[in-house]
Amino acid sequence: MFSPFDIPSGAFTLITDELSAPADFLLHGAVNACIKEHATKARVPGLRAKSESGAGPTVLVLSSSVDLARWKAISSKQNVNLAQHLTNGTVKFVDVACEEGGEMSLSSVFNSISATVGSSSDVLSERLVILDDVSTLEWIGFSPLDIMRFVRALRISCHKANWTFIVRYHVVTPNEVDEQLQQLLGICTYHLDVRPLYSGRSGAVSGEIALHRGAAARQDEVKLIKRSGSLQYRLLDTGPVYFQKGTSEGVL
Amino acid sequence: MSSFKRKDPSKQSNLKSYEGTRVSPASSSTINTSTGISSLDDILGGGLPLSCSLVIAAPDLHSSYGELVQKYWVAEGLACGHRVCVIDDYAEDFLRDLMWYPKSALSVASGATSGGIKEKEGPLGSTFEDEEDEPTPTDRKVKIAWRYEQMKPFQTTVSTPSLTSENYCHVFDLTSRVPTPVVNEKLVSGKLSLLAPGNPNRTGGATMSALRQVEQVLQEQSTVPIRICIPSLGSPATWGDITPSNVLQFLHSLRGLLRKYPHGCASITLAPHLSSDNWSGSGWLQKVGWVTDASLTLAAFSADPALSATFPSHHGIVHITALPSPSTLVAPSDRFSTLRGLASSASGFGGSGENNLAFKCTRKRLIFETLHLDLDGGVSERRTSAPSSTAVELTTATGTSISASAAAKSHDHSQGTCNGHVSSGGPRIDIEFEGPAVPEEKKAVVAGELIAPSPQPETRPKKPKKKVAFFSDRPDVYDF
Repeated sequence: MFSPFDIPSGAFTLITDELSAPADFLLHGAVNACIKEHATKARVPGLRAKSESGAGPTVLVLSSSVDLARWKAISSKQNVNLAQHLTNGTVKFVDVACEEGGEMSLSSVFNSISATVGSSSDVLSERLVILDDVSTLEWIGFSPLDIMRFVRALRISCHKANWTFIVRYHVVTPNEVDEQLQQLLGICTYHLDVRPLYSGRSGAVSGEIALHRGAAARQDEVKLIKRSGSLQYRLLDTGPVYFQKGTSEGVL
Repeated sequence: MSSFKRKDPSKQSNLKSYEGTRVSPASSSTINTSTGISSLDDILGGGLPLSCSLVIAAPDLHSSYGELVQKYWVAEGLACGHRVCVIDDYAEDFLRDLMWYPKSALSVASGATSGGIKEKEGPLGSTFEDEEDEPTPTDRKVKIAWRYEQMKPFQTTVSTPSLTSENYCHVFDLTSRVPTPVVNEKLVSGKLSLLAPGNPNRTGGATMSALRQVEQVLQEQSTVPIRICIPSLGSPATWGDITPSNVLQFLHSLRGLLRKYPHGCASITLAPHLSSDNWSGSGWLQKVGWVTDASLTLAAFSADPALSATFPSHHGIVHITALPSPSTLVAPSDRFSTLRGLASSASGFGGSGENNLAFKCTRKRLIFETLHLDLDGGVSERRTSAPSSTAVELTTATGTSISASAAAKSHDHSQGTCNGHVSSGGPRIDIEFEGPAVPEEKKAVVAGELIAPSPQPETRPKKPKKKVAFFSDRPDVYDF
């Protein structure tokens, strides 16, 4: 699903990022890849009938601040017509932080989502749930306990239905691991760690990514990327360009 | 027959075109509004986009540069004809201090109806007479080594646009105030509204009530861009006891409102005690950066004499926490900002980092510039012997900086030696300039050096500083 990382579908991936190196591009990349794969499979005649019958959304994005204009603009640069997929129900956005009657409640959000996740009968195309992002939910007032319960419940639903689950977490204190991050690390399958360069912003390198195995991963399933040999990337409007550390055009 | 249809550019963007705005160079679906400061517009990538929020953190308790940026924001809004809302209990006092067009521009504009006012541009890109301006290069022609002849002059900031060009980023003068009739007229016509958050006693009450009022304003009309200004978010008088969660929730909800009503934009300055990074545990400013679109810190040097001595011509450092990118993965500022310098490095050599940025407030305006470390001893001269005094800037008992008053005195004497005596409550200090007239830039550096006060200053032997001459009437020609 995630290129160039060969993370298998159905896994729970935790993405951590920092303000100087946000991981928006990974989420956009995952959504667009999922949509493209669904569109490709829908073109196959035998599969099309199956996928159209009563199938729910292929991609479910649960966001603390839904910014549809931005999603559409970025997807269009990557040749995906997100507006069309929104209208035909392939992609669904849910605003987790919206107040219903003055009370913000994650359990009500979970109840409405679990029906969607649990009822999916189409196992042919990959399904994706993204929770973007856990830290903002805590900052705007949700209790950490509620948030962790929500994440755990979602994880179990996704695991049962073999949906890929991605959670994003913002790190504000780079050298410390706070309690919520510790708990998330304890239940994730894979951990994609996006960090800025230690020396600050650069024109050629936007940041670096490392891939770690979480507690639930099986041994030797996926090729990991250590922090010392992390993959560097440069962000362009059409997406990231990856290269091995120290091999960007300016260096060689 | 091909099913591809050629996109018609004229039908492509169905965006409204608002007065006083520009389309962003990065994306045709983003509209930028000017902050009133051309160098800040450059840092943001052309201006603050509509539907975005900008937060300025100004941690220094003794200065009000954050509020100054907000005044520019409001003045620019009034000049462009946008709808402006100021949310503060003391908004009237705030408005009384707004800057306005320079007096010369106003008098000429009232006289001449046709023809633009062409301001002359100095080497640093300043557009009007300013004591920090360099003298014109015709004074002295210096032979430069051939390899440097083609290089452009050293520029630390972007140039200000000329006065009567498009309705974007007007030139304001800090020495002139907005006329009261203008403010009253805007208040009456509804182009300017003052909102008070109200309810400061209930914790969090002020932020909720402010959000409701902002939503009401945004819902009213969408023909003209709406600028929301909060000069001091978190100040106890207006906002009461405010918790970190209140602030983050407010900024998050405000961003949501601006996305819902994309003809609005907001500029907020945090109160000084909210602007430090460890206000609510560590990482506070990072959190603020995540819940807003753009976030800058203006860290003034007022509290730190060592820093103000190291950078005598600047008043503080700018830290960029977040930059707006409402419809692109890469912030337009990365590609288009001249001051940050990332754009030039990316394509060419592909490796250098961004420039350090600082700001200074001159008599007439606020400027954001690139910050460069001087050569040891100052760029104006290279000494062959150790300096006879330490280059620490002393402040007098009254708190005023001595170099500032010395610089003021030095302008009275443009030729020859001049002595300035600064006598106030503190120690007696003599400042002396030797030799022919030195350009303004050097004066600012030289004035920073003081002869250490000694019990008998008159009998001290004065050694002339040996200068290894590298005179340049233009600013330094090396280009970063």
